[in-house]
Amino acid sequence: MVGPIIDAADIVKDYGSARALHGVSLEVGAGEFLALVGPSGCGKTTLLKILAGFEEPTGGRLEIQGKDMRGVPAANRPTRIVFQKLALFPHKTVAENIGFPLKLQKVAKPESDSRVRAMLDLMHLKPEYLTRYPAQLSGGEQQRVALARALVSQPGVLLLDEPMSALDAKLKKSLQAELKKLHREIGTSFVLVTHDLEEAMMLADRICVMRSGHVVQIGTPADIYYRPANMFVAGFIGETNFLPVTATKTAAGATVTSPLIPGASAEIPAEHVSPALSAAGTALLVRPESTRFVKGDASPGEWVLDGEVEEYFIKGASTQYRIRVAGLPAAVVMDLPGSIVLPARVGESVRVGFQPAHAFLLSE
Amino acid sequence: MQIEQKSWKDPVLIAMVAPLAIVMVVFFLIPLLMTAVLTFQTTQYYRLSWTWNLKIWTEVFSKPHYWTIMLRTVGMAVVCVLLCVLIAYPAAYAMATRLKSYKTQIQILIIFAFLTDAVLKTFGWILILDKNGVANWLLMHIGFPPEMLNLLFSPAGTMIGMVYNLVTYPMFTIYLSLVRIDRDLVLAAYDAGASRLRTFFEVTLPLSRPGLYSGAVLVFVLSLGAFLEPRVLGGGTSPLASELIRQSFETRVNWPLGAALTLVLIAIGALTLAVSAALTLRRRPNQRSAA
Amino acid sequence: MSPRFKNILLDTLLIGSVLVLLLFFYAPIITLVAFSFTSSRVLTLPIEGFSLQWYGELVSRPDFFPAVLNSAVVAAISMVFATAFGTAGAVAWIRYRFRLQSVFRAVTFAPLLFPQLLLGVVMLLWFSVLGNWLGFSTGLVTVVIGHVVYITPFALVIVAVQVYGFDDTLEDAARDAGATGWQVFREITFPLLWPGIFSAAIFAFLLSWGNFYVSYSLAGTARTLPIFVYSGIAVGSSPIYPALATLNLIPALLLVVTAEVFRRRALKRQSASLPSS
Repeated sequence: MVGPIIDAADIVKDYGSARALHGVSLEVGAGEFLALVGPSGCGKTTLLKILAGFEEPTGGRLEIQGKDMRGVPAANRPTRIVFQKLALFPHKTVAENIGFPLKLQKVAKPESDSRVRAMLDLMHLKPEYLTRYPAQLSGGEQQRVALARALVSQPGVLLLDEPMSALDAKLKKSLQAELKKLHREIGTSFVLVTHDLEEAMMLADRICVMRSGHVVQIGTPADIYYRPANMFVAGFIGETNFLPVTATKTAAGATVTSPLIPGASAEIPAEHVSPALSAAGTALLVRPESTRFVKGDASPGEWVLDGEVEEYFIKGASTQYRIRVAGLPAAVVMDLPGSIVLPARVGESVRVGFQPAHAFLLSE
Repeated sequence: MQIEQKSWKDPVLIAMVAPLAIVMVVFFLIPLLMTAVLTFQTTQYYRLSWTWNLKIWTEVFSKPHYWTIMLRTVGMAVVCVLLCVLIAYPAAYAMATRLKSYKTQIQILIIFAFLTDAVLKTFGWILILDKNGVANWLLMHIGFPPEMLNLLFSPAGTMIGMVYNLVTYPMFTIYLSLVRIDRDLVLAAYDAGASRLRTFFEVTLPLSRPGLYSGAVLVFVLSLGAFLEPRVLGGGTSPLASELIRQSFETRVNWPLGAALTLVLIAIGALTLAVSAALTLRRRPNQRSAA
Repeated sequence: MSPRFKNILLDTLLIGSVLVLLLFFYAPIITLVAFSFTSSRVLTLPIEGFSLQWYGELVSRPDFFPAVLNSAVVAAISMVFATAFGTAGAVAWIRYRFRLQSVFRAVTFAPLLFPQLLLGVVMLLWFSVLGNWLGFSTGLVTVVIGHVVYITPFALVIVAVQVYGFDDTLEDAARDAGATGWQVFREITFPLLWPGIFSAAIFAFLLSWGNFYVSYSLAGTARTLPIFVYSGIAVGSSPIYPALATLNLIPALLLVVTAEVFRRRALKRQSASLPSS
């Protein structure tokens, strides 16, 4: 891999006295699919607009394809953006929409036409759509036209600003699959902004999690899921359990004890210990799918919590249980494989077991 | 909607705003000030003389004749507002709820009539309202006694003309506020068990209040200046303020007096606007949460 | 009364109110058109015979064509200025935020709330004082200025509606695709605002063409069509005025129909809404 296609260092953005980005640094490799994820207001869209050239950063350095982007307007950057609301020109036909960037580059008509047709093919749109207006297309088709318009001028980086947030679940799934396939086929770098971490995990090579203007963690989907930097990242991916513990660092990792399980202590291997571990608010991250009901004896090394079933949800392939445990602020969430016979009913006393050595040790 | 903060150093802003602003200041604001200045001058032998005094204002305030006419003008304006709103509301409501598929055709018909030369339309009303006019002829032919209506050259004739020329404004303001009402709010009221009438008074009417008020205020302010109608259809029998102003300029060539009377009329209009703006602003919080 | 009957009654009353209102609007217009073809000099029903003689009499009046020409010139120039000012003003109203914007808004909107006669009088006073100083008298130029002041707020409101509904990510999208400022304006902004600008222009032309009050105050000795009619009917009614009214309807009708055709064409491709979020 040659140098990164996007190299952003210490990007700061102020709106008046409010700071939207507090020194964000980020690299995007050539051909990489990077997702910017975070709750609304975390600064991900601001960062995307800075990459696209719609906003000037207050401070920091931004290079795209090795060139400093300070003062370079959106038009002259090697980036193209797909907007959240697509921004298809309602007064131009599909062909005119897709061909618009080529028209501005004064590409000759025959060449432009053939490239528009090639894009149409790539996007699996029928040739008769060329003369239609955006309003005459379905939501998914408009999405593809927007992608085609952004890709027709062969940008170095494609920026996507939550382009699928307005679609219904089923269409979203199929377009996500298409987007991933498209990325693999054309090899352009993609930067996707989304608030949906599941979508980011499905599509991206690397994920950048942001929170209130800071980058919290950058890593592969597996890193983000199994080795989250802190409780915010761990909690962002969906429901999970945090068991407060006291930890002592050792040569091989850490030794933990929990006030809820008197007398028990466990060794956590070093690769399951967050590098950012601090003394405050240390907890074991126990994913709902790595818990089980203990009937009879516990397995070796297994920790067991006594509780009572608060509620359960049948989700088909799995069944989710919420167990109220004395001493824990939130109910323990368990994802068990689905079964015809319910393992426990509401109000029943149960024992929840998990292997602390398989859990991940982190702090707030 | 993305909003751009612009500084006055930005040439784009200056290019967009300055020409219009200059025209409005030079040919609207300054003339208004000029009018105010003129009221402190007097005329001698039909010529303006620059003497700063309150003569004109003492005359205006001491002659009950002027105030009778002003009061009549306001009275006519109030009646005109009531009639316009009563006529415009049901029609706007029908356009917003019953005739949605014909709304553009109806709008075009209304705008077309609105934009037709006002003097010609007023002349058309003469032909209708005349003692031997179209209205009486039609009435006679369906069995009423001949020359039953005697509307031309009466306050009623004036009023018909005023309503005719102004009813378009509330029609559109009310229509615009009615179509903005979320249909689900009406359905929610039905769902809660409200009858049609109840829903109208509890939901539709309060939510259309902005359009109702702005239309009413517009009619009131514009009808203060009615001139053609009282002159042509009213026959000058009960003159309104505009006639008074015209006379002070044309017949008496007393500009300071005309200017003072103009200012009085503008003040009445401005006061109405200010009061209605204050009322609307006070209501705005609950309007916003409801809409 | 059964609820069904009540519903039908209500619908009838409501729809009826629109029909009655339309009849009210068109009563004088229809009357004028009908009387324009009378063969009699008296404008009373029944119309005794059909003739076009009053059209002939109208066009042979020596002051008729000058009035038409004056009206056309005034309306064309007023239209250009009012539409240009209104468009720029609408963008500044809706899309920009700047110091003293509320003053700008108040000053550009106020003429709409002014009775036309008073607007005319106030401007007449100013032009007379100015004219005394600078040695000019009121005429067609002052009429145009008056019309621009009176009509610009209307044009501004019409274009503002279009600007308000304008999705400006489209401009960002064009910029992103490589368009310069001028290309963005030519390719995106102007075509999308055009329906509003076009209807504002037509509205401005017709408002100026049919304007009496402002012209009456500011025209001096010049005559536009409405003044021609006003001074004519002050003397006595004649069938040439219905004939004039009928002729007057033709260009207005053409303009309104053209505007509607344009609007529909634009609507056909644009109205079906894009996926909204």
